Amino acid sequence: MTNKINQNLISSLINNNDKVLDIGCGNGDLLYYLETTKNIQGQGIEISHLGVKESVTKGLSVIQGDADEDLVSFTDNTFDVVILSDTLQATHKPKEVLKEMLRIGKRCIICIPNFGYWKYRLQILFYGIMPVTKTLSEPWYSTPNIHLCTIKDFINLCNSLNISINKAYRNTQNNIKKIEKPDSYFNNLLSTEGIFILTKQ
Amino acid sequence: MNVLGGCMGTTGPSSINSDTGKPYGMDFPIFTIKDMVNLQLKLIDSMHIEKLFSVIGGSMGGMQVLEWAASYPDRIYSAIPIATSYRHSAQNIAFHEVGRQAIMNDPDWYQGNYYQKKLKPRHGLSVARMIAHITYLSEGAFQKKFGRDMQSKVLSWGFDADFQVESYLRHQGSSFVDRFDANSYLYITRAMDYFDLTSSYKGDLSLAFKKAECKFLIVSFTSDWLFPSSESHEIVKALNKTNLDISYIEVESDKGHDSFLLEVNEFYEILSGFISGVSRKINI
Repeated sequence: MTNKINQNLISSLINNNDKVLDIGCGNGDLLYYLETTKNIQGQGIEISHLGVKESVTKGLSVIQGDADEDLVSFTDNTFDVVILSDTLQATHKPKEVLKEMLRIGKRCIICIPNFGYWKYRLQILFYGIMPVTKTLSEPWYSTPNIHLCTIKDFINLCNSLNISINKAYRNTQNNIKKIEKPDSYFNNLLSTEGIFILTKQ
Repeated sequence: MNVLGGCMGTTGPSSINSDTGKPYGMDFPIFTIKDMVNLQLKLIDSMHIEKLFSVIGGSMGGMQVLEWAASYPDRIYSAIPIATSYRHSAQNIAFHEVGRQAIMNDPDWYQGNYYQKKLKPRHGLSVARMIAHITYLSEGAFQKKFGRDMQSKVLSWGFDADFQVESYLRHQGSSFVDRFDANSYLYITRAMDYFDLTSSYKGDLSLAFKKAECKFLIVSFTSDWLFPSSESHEIVKALNKTNLDISYIEVESDKGHDSFLLEVNEFYEILSGFISGVSRKINI
């Protein structure tokens, strides 16, 4: 699910009438917002029955499905934009999901929680426990987030897959800033979230 | 209007053949799901309805919905296939075959000409319905509804309906005989068996929906083993290859295939949301 700040940022990155896929759309708030403000043709995928129910009840087109399994059935370049907001860390095969997103979409917007943020580092360093945060509030044994990473990890993965990062933003204390050098040490240390716009090379 | 080949209005095997003055019986032509849809099309044509807001149906009705979307894409705005499949599975054909054999081996069937004899293949049709009824529920639903509950406190040590589930099935069978025609049962089950939407499209389901332009809401139920969610998921995967708006929801229910008639509350919200979404998008 996407918070208000990311919602505004994502909205600013989308053109009117775009065909948009939101993977892990939750209760459909972002899609609904984009349909009403940008007149997009929206499609969602959501794993939870309740999320799908709430989305469809809003009049959105949402498939009950799974990012790991269901992207393969879409044809190349079906969507102008594919959004993956706070979902990559919950997929079984993040690498494959990224590749599939770039295949079916012309542009991809990906928001990830950054486990390189200094407060999370301190939780491990001083308390010796797995970080529990406001947005990732489940303890290690019940969290659906099985593939957490840092901004640096994510950039390394993109590099290894020859994916080009078109633009990057960081979220610090609910403040969104564009970052020129996404792979800098301080961006990784000081950001709670990274937002990336990926395009095919 | 009820279904083509049925016995409650639209022409079927029990209708009078004007050439002979007798009921058609087995002279009634074999018909398909597409024939049912073609008849519905004639109906809306005669009513000068250009485009239907929605076609909705469960099970065999869902097959008709899929046929509408594939064959008459410009005549519908939205399609809601529920607890259905794009082709009848081997297991489902097998169950139908057992039901038909029960009917056709009943001595009162008379090759379908029982009408004049004022008889009915009661036992055969009743057994067919009992089998079918088992397929409409689920293991969990049976256990929850009946368990091993008895009709009386003692066993008969014979073959009476000792268990409540037996008595329930016998009642389902015998009450069905009073309201349904055995030959209609043969023909309609055959129409479902023959249904394979991919057959006219080189086995590729996504080609069937190539010209479709409606919005889809596909619904399946977790405990439905007659039309399992995996078959709805196949439809979704085929539709993902098109450029259409698709919704798919798998409703949690322990009531088996019958869920589509029973899970009314869950449905209501989803349906009303979907319908208002469609009307918003087509500006009605």
